[in-house]
Amino acid sequence: MLSRAANRNQRLARLLGEGFLLLVTSLSMLAVVFILIFIARDAFPFFTSWERVREFFGSVAWYPTRQPAEFGALSILFGSALVTLGAALVAIPLGLAAAVCLSDVLPFHIRQYVKPVVEMLAAIPSVAYGFFALVVFAPALQERGGPMLAWAFWLVLTPIVFLTVLVVSDLAAARLAEKVRTVARAVVFAALAALAGWLLWKTGRLLYGLEISSGTNALNAALILGLMALPTMVSVAEDALQATGRDLRMASYALGATRAETLIKVVIPAAGSGILAAGILAIMRAVGETMVVWMASGNAARIPEPWFNFLDPVRTLTATIAGDMGEADQSAGSAHYHVLFAMALVLLVFSLVCNLVSEHMLARTRRRLR
Amino acid sequence: MLRLGTRKLLDRSFTGMGVLSIVLLAAALLILLAPICLRGISAYVFQGTVEFRRVALEKFQRGDREELKREQAAAARARQPVFAALAAFKKDLDAMPFAERKKYKTDFAAVQDAVKDLLGPLPGEEAPLLMRSQYGQTRWDRAQVKIQQVLFAEDYDFSGGGLGRKVLKPRLEKFRGTKLEPLFAAIEKNASEMLRPQWTFYGRFLTDASHDAHFFGGIGPEVLGTLYLTLGAILFAVPMGVIAAIYLVEYARENRLVRVLRVCISTLAGVPSIVFGLFGLAFFINAAHLSENKSVLAGSLTLGLLILPTIIRASEEALRAVPATYKQAALSLGAGQWHAVRSVILPAALPGILTGVIISMGRAAGETAPIIFTAAVSVGKPLTLLQTFTQPTPALPWNIYNLCSEHVAVDEIRHVQYGMVFSLVLLVLLLNLAAIIVRARISRKLRT
Repeated sequence: MLSRAANRNQRLARLLGEGFLLLVTSLSMLAVVFILIFIARDAFPFFTSWERVREFFGSVAWYPTRQPAEFGALSILFGSALVTLGAALVAIPLGLAAAVCLSDVLPFHIRQYVKPVVEMLAAIPSVAYGFFALVVFAPALQERGGPMLAWAFWLVLTPIVFLTVLVVSDLAAARLAEKVRTVARAVVFAALAALAGWLLWKTGRLLYGLEISSGTNALNAALILGLMALPTMVSVAEDALQATGRDLRMASYALGATRAETLIKVVIPAAGSGILAAGILAIMRAVGETMVVWMASGNAARIPEPWFNFLDPVRTLTATIAGDMGEADQSAGSAHYHVLFAMALVLLVFSLVCNLVSEHMLARTRRRLR
Repeated sequence: MLRLGTRKLLDRSFTGMGVLSIVLLAAALLILLAPICLRGISAYVFQGTVEFRRVALEKFQRGDREELKREQAAAARARQPVFAALAAFKKDLDAMPFAERKKYKTDFAAVQDAVKDLLGPLPGEEAPLLMRSQYGQTRWDRAQVKIQQVLFAEDYDFSGGGLGRKVLKPRLEKFRGTKLEPLFAAIEKNASEMLRPQWTFYGRFLTDASHDAHFFGGIGPEVLGTLYLTLGAILFAVPMGVIAAIYLVEYARENRLVRVLRVCISTLAGVPSIVFGLFGLAFFINAAHLSENKSVLAGSLTLGLLILPTIIRASEEALRAVPATYKQAALSLGAGQWHAVRSVILPAALPGILTGVIISMGRAAGETAPIIFTAAVSVGKPLTLLQTFTQPTPALPWNIYNLCSEHVAVDEIRHVQYGMVFSLVLLVLLLNLAAIIVRARISRKLRT
């Protein structure tokens, strides 16, 4: 039997201990709050007037060291967006295909060997990716960029286009009478295939003859960034696909659907919000990445001509912060110093919003599957 | 409606596309790692010339003095005709009338510079200031590039239009019939006697200091700096992360505060690394004045914050994986909550926590953006433990960037860049391999 005093002491000790644990745990909350405060504190002095806000978001004139200085960040914001778009175009379809393959197609003993590949891609430091982009990939792109692009274009699009043609001709013929169906299908297929083949050939030749003046451009950065964002996409999407469970798949098979139909029409929609969350996380990774874009994107603060020209050099928010902070007077707090914090604030707010959305999506998947 | 045949074909091509994407992933990894590994190894294993052994002896006090002397004498004998031809032509050149001298002057200067690049300073010349001009080429692969530069002049052929095509013109033609002519034949035939290449294993590349902006020596200070930064980050983040995970798994009740905490942890994980760098600069250095300027301490703390969410998540997962029966057994034996955690649950979860820690170590070692403004400098001496509180350090990731995009002679030190990338990637992948092994042992233990 414990005495009353001892009992109280014990309870006090437990409370104190628990309080200490909570204190340590709230360190990460503190860190988030402090990051927000300290980035915002150094960002706000930049926005001294409405003019500054309008200039920052609306002008493409980025001359931070000229007198008087101009801080139009539109082309830099656009550069970030363009590179991220490219990375997403690489990472999301490829990552989803790989995730589907990992969760539903490959047998267990092969999956064991594929997982470490994804983990290795995630583990390789970003500066190594950047080094590869700058030293290996950029010269290759500059010398043989046209043929490389053309072959990639043919290899990726040919199977997709021909499958589409097959499906379209099948659907078109299905409306006709039984007698002419086979013939009509063959005719439609032949005509469409010839057209698609001719188009593929012509566009490919166009790409083949392309001369790339500099290997460090938006395309290079986007491809490598896409590769870096892939592991995030693959692992989060795979988790979402696995979480849908066996019953759903079995029900679909029982109705006579093939595996592809089950996956596309049943499993992927069911895991939809999880996959969306994966896409958002991959995009966040691409937006926030510094070294690759700094080394591989060419760092020219202007909007490409035309806007979707991936072969022009671009400049991104992260690369500007990394590259200019050395020049900007750090302690004196010049406008140049503060504009870089304003860029960091844009990045931070973007990633906070994305994170909340993806959290919400993941929570919704969990709830619905329960 | 689709035909059954089409549906089957679509099903198969769907599978094929999935498999293809996996193959693409593996191929991308291979394409990325192959050049880094192949050329990275050449920083450690290569054909070193007599100049390399001279540097080793004079700057690092390694090697046999007598042996080197003999080798140098032999090399000097082989080089003699080259220097003689240069001296003889120079004498002729000075005696030439102005118009004729003009014809040879720039080309001769180019040849002389290329020879100096290849073999080091000419005999009798005053010792140059820069260390890179005091020695000839230390590596046979670089020497061969320099030999090409002695033998051929680069020119552009604009006849095809456009950017022009690079063509090589033999310098010999220009100097045919002069006293310089024998130099070209001598260099072409006897270069290997002049430099005496030998297969060398330079394991100390990993620990040697560098000389003259990485033209000579190894990557010791960078490796040491990376180790300091990584260990500092781990020392900060592991206790914090594990304690937070224990609280979240064992003590926290599901209330609003805990939900907010969880959101904050995932938010912290999503903050871009460059923003961490700016925060480190604004908070640790400019506001908290942890150090006058950049320091290892500020960098480690920044990196520690960066890996904190990863460690919390991994530890949480490991703690949750401990079977509930363990805890129940401990509690039923009369242990208090904290006692049960400390003596039963934590040891059982330790391998899982270790996996997370190892992976985070790899992350911290490879991150560049957070240390640019908080800890990294391009050139620096290896630090002692005490200096880490106040001084910045060179670090592998930052110096990889620095050497391949801001160095004066990027092409001359490719082997050092590749060596650095290779060492960093190897470090990170070995850490990951360790994590995989630990995890495999856990799952084996859990199965039995």
